[in-house]
Amino acid sequence: MLLEARNLHVGYGDATAIWDVSLDVDAGEIVSVIGPNGAGKTTLINAMAGLLRCRKGELRFDGADMTCVRAYDYCGHGIALVPEGRRLFVKMSVEENLELGCYLAAARAHRQESLERVYGLFPVLRDKRRQLAGELSGGQQQMVAIGRALMARPRIVLFDEPSLGLAPTIVDDMFDIIMRVRQDGAAVLLVEQNVLKALDVADRAYVLEQGRIVSTGLPADLLKQPHIREAYLGV
Amino acid sequence: MPSATLLGQALISGVLAGGMYGLLALGLSLSWGLLRLVNLSHFALAFLAAYLTYELGTTYHVAPWWAAAMIVPVMFLIGIAQHWLFDKFKVNELASLLITFSFAVILEVAIQLYWTADYRRFETHYSTMSIKAGPFYIPVLELALCMVAGVLAWGTWLWLRKTYVGKALRAAAEDADIAAAYGVDHKKLAYLLSGMGAAYAAIAGTFIALIATLAPTQIWAWLGVVFAVVIIGRLGNPLGALLAGMLIGASESIAMAVFEPAWAPVVSFSVLIAILLWDPEWL
Repeated sequence: MLLEARNLHVGYGDATAIWDVSLDVDAGEIVSVIGPNGAGKTTLINAMAGLLRCRKGELRFDGADMTCVRAYDYCGHGIALVPEGRRLFVKMSVEENLELGCYLAAARAHRQESLERVYGLFPVLRDKRRQLAGELSGGQQQMVAIGRALMARPRIVLFDEPSLGLAPTIVDDMFDIIMRVRQDGAAVLLVEQNVLKALDVADRAYVLEQGRIVSTGLPADLLKQPHIREAYLGV
Repeated sequence: MPSATLLGQALISGVLAGGMYGLLALGLSLSWGLLRLVNLSHFALAFLAAYLTYELGTTYHVAPWWAAAMIVPVMFLIGIAQHWLFDKFKVNELASLLITFSFAVILEVAIQLYWTADYRRFETHYSTMSIKAGPFYIPVLELALCMVAGVLAWGTWLWLRKTYVGKALRAAAEDADIAAAYGVDHKKLAYLLSGMGAAYAAIAGTFIALIATLAPTQIWAWLGVVFAVVIIGRLGNPLGALLAGMLIGASESIAMAVFEPAWAPVVSFSVLIAILLWDPEWL
């Protein structure tokens, strides 16, 4: 397994937001976590990215124990985050945002090659590379956020609600890009409220409700469960 | 209305005097803009450096540039030590204002204990030298100060724009968590920047020793105007700080020539308020 979480407890301050979560992502896999607002999806993904400390449990990446690794060392292990709401450096140019993705020496050595790859995926960013990231449209900002993650040459990309706030046509593009990321060799952990889309691209999926994993399996099997159909698809 | 020559001379003197505002604003703007720490002790560190330059010059006959070469690295280390305290006690923006205010008061008292409250003047043969350009006089020391401030501001600006460390500092100022997610060790960079800020205070201090008359209370003399300069120049923008310094210096000097010297202190804050209200795009 590439990413292994075992009985993970994560919280903010005095409150625990996710309990006893176990989750795996294998190399080259797309794994989706679906669940309603406030279920703890962002908490889960931020813990995987090193932004939140785990209270209890184990987090392993490629066999290495990640629980004692400092936040700024996660990226060097090959974990890159596309955060909720994009969180670009809005006062910096598009290209500077991308360059931050290859801040670490190993990724920096491939700066030019990675930039070409990102501009190949998102040609519009090449034209706007000198513009401030904050001046771009929502869809273009999401492209920068994904590009920034790819610049790190990650082995897994963590996507947190990539379709949030985007027009429907652009949402389709984003899911195409997620497939491309996997084709290029990285694993994907995707957290989404857009359940149909998230299950459509996934190899496996987990259902997170009120901070706990309540169900897991192949997307096709999950779609057959009455609870999932009722709660997420309204049928 | 004063003559064109007088106005021209006022403009030149003002811009050159503004170089000092800019030089003092540089370190303050960096730590405020990029670390969210408002360092009032910046002024006290500059005066400590000025007194040390004075002491080395008058007692040991050390040339000011050699004095600066000795004082700047020491101040760099003091800046790092100061940041260690901020880091250890997790100081936020407002608390930093109060804590560094007390640092400044302590330094003021220490300076007064050692050098007394008497006015001190470091006389050098070049302190009165000037170049004549047409009808105008350009004082050599102020010109040197502006050149040094220009090189530092330009160099720091380029460093923040072009190097990975500079970009990482700007990114971390916007969103420290996400910068960390891409490998930026913000704490380490913050130490470097704090050291640089204190080193810039030392460079400003060397020029203060040469240009101004020293007294412990003078620590506070530039506080208001330099704060205005930092805000007008935009936090964290070194070139902005220098240009704003020169703008305020020139405005003050022309106001003194056209109206009365007493008007000078009003000018910097009038310009600040005008710019805050106007909020031009290019800033």
